[in-house]
Amino acid sequence: MDPESQAQIKAVADRFEGDDLVVVLGAADPEALEVAGETVTSGDPAYVGPLAGVSLRLPVVHILEHEVKEQVDPQVYAEQVGLLELALDADAVQTAMRKLRGNE
Amino acid sequence: MPTQCRRRCESCAAMSDRLRVAHYLNQFFAGLGGEEAANTPPQVSAEPLGAGRALVALLGDEGLVVSTFVCGDDFFNEQAEEAHEAVRGWLEDTRPDLVVAGPAFAAGRYGVACSHVCRIAEELGQIAVTGLHPENPGRLVYVRAYAVPAPRTAVGMKDTLEAMVRLGRRLGQGAELGPAELDGYLPRSVRRPGYRDKPGAERAVEMLVAKLSGWPFRTEMPVEGYDVVVPAPPVADPAQVRIGLVTSGAIVPKGNPDRLRRASESRWSRYPIAGLQTLSPDDYECVHGGFFNLIACENPNLVLPLDAVRALEREGAIGSVADFYCCTTGNDQRLADCARNGREIASALAEAGVEAVILVAT
Repeated sequence: MDPESQAQIKAVADRFEGDDLVVVLGAADPEALEVAGETVTSGDPAYVGPLAGVSLRLPVVHILEHEVKEQVDPQVYAEQVGLLELALDADAVQTAMRKLRGNE
Repeated sequence: MPTQCRRRCESCAAMSDRLRVAHYLNQFFAGLGGEEAANTPPQVSAEPLGAGRALVALLGDEGLVVSTFVCGDDFFNEQAEEAHEAVRGWLEDTRPDLVVAGPAFAAGRYGVACSHVCRIAEELGQIAVTGLHPENPGRLVYVRAYAVPAPRTAVGMKDTLEAMVRLGRRLGQGAELGPAELDGYLPRSVRRPGYRDKPGAERAVEMLVAKLSGWPFRTEMPVEGYDVVVPAPPVADPAQVRIGLVTSGAIVPKGNPDRLRRASESRWSRYPIAGLQTLSPDDYECVHGGFFNLIACENPNLVLPLDAVRALEREGAIGSVADFYCCTTGNDQRLADCARNGREIASALAEAGVEAVILVAT
């Protein structure tokens, strides 16, 4: 995850400290998911961004997971995520997310 | 581990028992940026940078990062001579107990740089370790480098650095390392004579019995496995699509400007064909070394069928032809390189709007 994105996430986490925050990922590649998940839970594994050594321990979900989809207006979801859902391997994403959360 | 320092100052004396580590990083892992910073020229920092902070935490009181060398991946690979000399000068000046290069994970250009750093360090009599994914092309640059196996991404940073430092310490202590797979480093193509408990014939029969019985066994001659590639669906209407031409038959412009190898190539090249109706033997040749290529040199269209494809284009049977073709030498190419080249070629073609490809092998 690039340092700018890390800085934005850190700023939000600092601002809403104590409130319920969750990170919704949209990446398709299991490797990218793993890096993003690690970054917002244990800290930036590459040690190049503001989250290096910072364990935010934020819960992580993916936009393609059923539980997340159910929370979104179906029309909005179809407009914003519909094409992505068709193009991606949702099962692979769900497997990667389960693995990622299991490692938390 | 012996400690050397050019300036025997007080602070150095106080540090004399601590492992003095020199760290090589690319632009990304130094925190300078991604591709936009890939041309960063060599620079040295007295302070640990980026991933070096993880290394400092890992070393604790037992060692310190005395110097960090940063170079952009493009700079290192495109201005190789200058980069190598800069690394050599840095190592001669720093004289560390241990050189830590990377880890580079699956990053190709970074892996190549880390392997060169290990090579140069060892030429200077210094101990060097890196961390590479087993398929990192950097392994081809200097197979004798001590590289611990790393995952594809930086998620494995901590574990990989730990393994690198552990291996580096053992090398520094002069410990005799066992086989790569047992001692946690990637094979270095080194064969050592020795005795086994049983002769080869007996071991082979035992493996065969185990294999036939469905029991687990471990081969002594690992062979890379082949992927099963699912064919793409048929093109619905070729008259509507842009076709790309690709060959592993090493058809190149006369003179072989990119010095494509006759075998064991790891790269691919692209050449323009916009407006060209056919491949003349005056302008193109075949450098593939895996077959009798004189006929292909006399008529390169037999391997890269530009003449036939242009005829189909004129007839309207296909929509259009991409303005360039891609080629490599398939002969004895490592599977890891085949897969990487395939991905890169597919990406270049997709970027050019190509929707279907004619891939001619030999």
